[in-house]
Amino acid sequence: MLKEDLIKNNPLGVLNPLSSESLPDHRMGLVMARAGLGKTAILVQIAMDSMLRGQKVLHVSIGEGLEKAKAWYEDIFKYLAEGFQLENAAEVEGELMRNRMIMTFKESAFSRPKLEERLNDLVYQNIFRPDIVVVDGYDFAQADYDAVMDLKEMMAAMNVQGWFSALRHREDDRVSAAGVPAPCHEVDGLFDTVIILQPEKEAIILNIIKDEYDSAAGKNLNLDPSTMMVKEA
Amino acid sequence: MTVNVDKLRNIGISAHIDSGKTTLTERILFYTQRIHAIHEVRGKDGVGAKMDSMELEKERGITIQSAATYCNWKGHAINIIDTPGHVDFTIEVERALRVLDGAVLILCSVGGVQSQSITVNRQMTRYRVPRIVFINKCDRTGANPFRVAQQVREKLDLNAVMMQLPIGLEADLQGVIDLVSMKAIYFEGENGEEIREAEIPGELLAEAEAKREELLDAASMYSEELMEAILEGTPTEEMIHKAVREGTLNLELVPVFIGSAYKNKGVQPMLDAVTAYLPTPNDIENTALDLNNDEKEITLISAAEAPLISLAFKLEDGRYGQLTYIRIYQGTLKKGDTIINSRDGKKVKVGRLVRMHSDDMEDIEEAAAGDIVALFGIDCASGDTFTSPDISVSMSSMHVPEPVISLAILPVDNKAQGNMSKALNRFTKEDPTFRTYVDHETNETIISGMGELHLEVYIERMKREYNAEVQVGQPQVAYRETITRMAEFNYTHKKQTGGSGQFGRVAGFMEPSEDQEYEFVDNIVGGAIPREFISSCDKGFQKSLEKGTLAGAQITGIRMTINDGSSHAVDSSDVAFQLAAIGAFKEGYQKANPVILEPIMKVAVEGPSEFQGAVMGSLNQRRGIIVGTVEEANYTSVEAEVPLSEMFGYSTVLRSLTQGKAEFTMEFATYKQVPKSVSEEIIKAYQAEKQKS
Repeated sequence: MLKEDLIKNNPLGVLNPLSSESLPDHRMGLVMARAGLGKTAILVQIAMDSMLRGQKVLHVSIGEGLEKAKAWYEDIFKYLAEGFQLENAAEVEGELMRNRMIMTFKESAFSRPKLEERLNDLVYQNIFRPDIVVVDGYDFAQADYDAVMDLKEMMAAMNVQGWFSALRHREDDRVSAAGVPAPCHEVDGLFDTVIILQPEKEAIILNIIKDEYDSAAGKNLNLDPSTMMVKEA
Repeated sequence: MTVNVDKLRNIGISAHIDSGKTTLTERILFYTQRIHAIHEVRGKDGVGAKMDSMELEKERGITIQSAATYCNWKGHAINIIDTPGHVDFTIEVERALRVLDGAVLILCSVGGVQSQSITVNRQMTRYRVPRIVFINKCDRTGANPFRVAQQVREKLDLNAVMMQLPIGLEADLQGVIDLVSMKAIYFEGENGEEIREAEIPGELLAEAEAKREELLDAASMYSEELMEAILEGTPTEEMIHKAVREGTLNLELVPVFIGSAYKNKGVQPMLDAVTAYLPTPNDIENTALDLNNDEKEITLISAAEAPLISLAFKLEDGRYGQLTYIRIYQGTLKKGDTIINSRDGKKVKVGRLVRMHSDDMEDIEEAAAGDIVALFGIDCASGDTFTSPDISVSMSSMHVPEPVISLAILPVDNKAQGNMSKALNRFTKEDPTFRTYVDHETNETIISGMGELHLEVYIERMKREYNAEVQVGQPQVAYRETITRMAEFNYTHKKQTGGSGQFGRVAGFMEPSEDQEYEFVDNIVGGAIPREFISSCDKGFQKSLEKGTLAGAQITGIRMTINDGSSHAVDSSDVAFQLAAIGAFKEGYQKANPVILEPIMKVAVEGPSEFQGAVMGSLNQRRGIIVGTVEEANYTSVEAEVPLSEMFGYSTVLRSLTQGKAEFTMEFATYKQVPKSVSEEIIKAYQAEKQKS
């Protein structure tokens, strides 16, 4: 199988805004789950899908090391390449990784001005101009509406789409009118797409509770718990 | 004099450059009374620290070669291997790790876990070396051992457990609190040699109790006895020591100690920890390969009466001739014994056996399993195994990377010529990553190694130790060539005019081989090429691999299959088929879309965050791919993959970009195809070179 087929067959492709021309570049997406259900895996697969399409991805990891983020990409690519029996896998991987850059921040070191400064460093020197920024580990429990709004504005100004992960806590059962649980129940209006990961008997279901662009209409997706790969149910 | 193995520790001291390793070693030797005065690394007294025995190391304030040294601490014998801190010398680090049983990982309380510490830590994990951490330089401005301990957990993925708390920090550093005995320890006297125990200062008591809880929590995982005692409220110091030791030996727990070697604080408790928590030679399982049994792995028994098995891990050219550092894994080595080198089967008589203390030495009669000693006048190479004559065993071979950079050297006069060959002969024996050969086309002597600094150091050593002054050429990257598609060949070599003729035809195909450097497949049926000439074809192909046609670089990753050919009853010969194979290779190679590969280095630049943009720009300009950045408070590290050919002189560029505040390390990562534009330049340069000669 070739790279082109991989793009076509990756089930997460349905979420990619560029697969439909009517979508703006600066869509905001959110993946929510309790600890250990595969938030990072989903973000990396969304990133990988974009990279396969030739888009550039900035992966921002807050509180985790560079090696861990790198390992996620390596693992996900390995499963993809094996699952689809990709020819010339090593070559494709080398090509893909050029489309990705990882930034890791300590929890305390992450802020919008810091991220903006770093992004500007990259863009002005023409080193790397991301099309999509995935932010893994952002602490929504500590952030208020303005802080998230601020990040959204920044991404819109830079014309990049943003994907965030958010950690749900068992004891907090507040929910927004649209069905988005805490800690994001107050900021749900800022996101165009919200996916919640829910464990079921056999697999982890991707519950797409909000999708302004309806790109995933009619698709049932879930996560294979052994590989954390998304597949169509 | 043999040493009781249970009271013996073979330890390494490993760290990032400039975290104070040599100073710490110096203090250890002082407190164990091996030396009687303290000299600073960059000392103004002109003597220099004891472990940096080479003049060059003294001048640069860095440690290049790992010298082994021996000392005694409270009834325990400790062999210390001082290991180099720069990545360019990792073969030395790796070889030292092989012979160690445990290690002290030194971290700077300001700089924390830096890239080199990560590399060293990875190596220690590979060789399963139990370790303890010493956070040094707690007297420096900005010292924060808690942050460093956190980094050990995050960046090194080690279960770091604080065994001490500092009393004061930075200029105010007074001593440490021992969380096991719950006592404050102060270091008094002119050189901190007098230890005074006291009650914990009141204001630190609550914190100390909290940290002790953490320690007990972590340690109780390794001892049920301790866990029960904690529940009953009666844990003893002995129980805690035992549990921490258990966790350390299993590589599941890393006790963390703090201090400042320079200010003479915290060194003795760290020595106590070496004897209490790091393994004895008996705690470590070592294996060797049985040469009589298809290199099957055998487990060694650290018993004095078993047959001798030992490893020469380090050669040094001392004032009295060649000195060979040797680690004994099994049996006993006695003066006057005859031992054999299992690589070439040569018998060697042990003339003089010594225990080394940096430059000084002590003659001994015998040494037993577990010990590290030195032999005089033995001719061997680093990594050779020496055994009793009646067994045939080899320690497993060490992983030796291929050199990635080379340069031409030219002696300035006749005297230098002779000295240079002496020096090169010695260096190549000492260091398997350092190679040398004479280029037959240009008649130049080429040296090659793992990086610019690696070669620079040898060039300086040639000058200083061997009085061999050489002119140095431009560094050359070791390019490789490979093919990217299958191609067929069918070549006839024919020379049948006058005298004895030559005839051979070789046909088949070549294709890329992903996992092997070179493979030869013989698919000849029906004797199209007579049996005796098959190996001639193989030989011819291998000769062709030495020099590719694009850049004159070695060809790798290729599988040659022959499936047809023809011969002549009289005119076919070994030479004829070799030449036919060379011709066939040339024919196929052109069609197989050959490409040039270049070494790619993993580069890590660390420095204040304000320079991050400039650093990334400089890496980007060098065809680097920035893998990522790690941002922490005001310190950022940038990780990138950059072609080696673009990294020449980078240290100067980086210094001026960052006011000297950033530093970088690099190590070989992989070979990758060069971009088209660069490839054309390399080919052009090679053609021009060929025209000239």
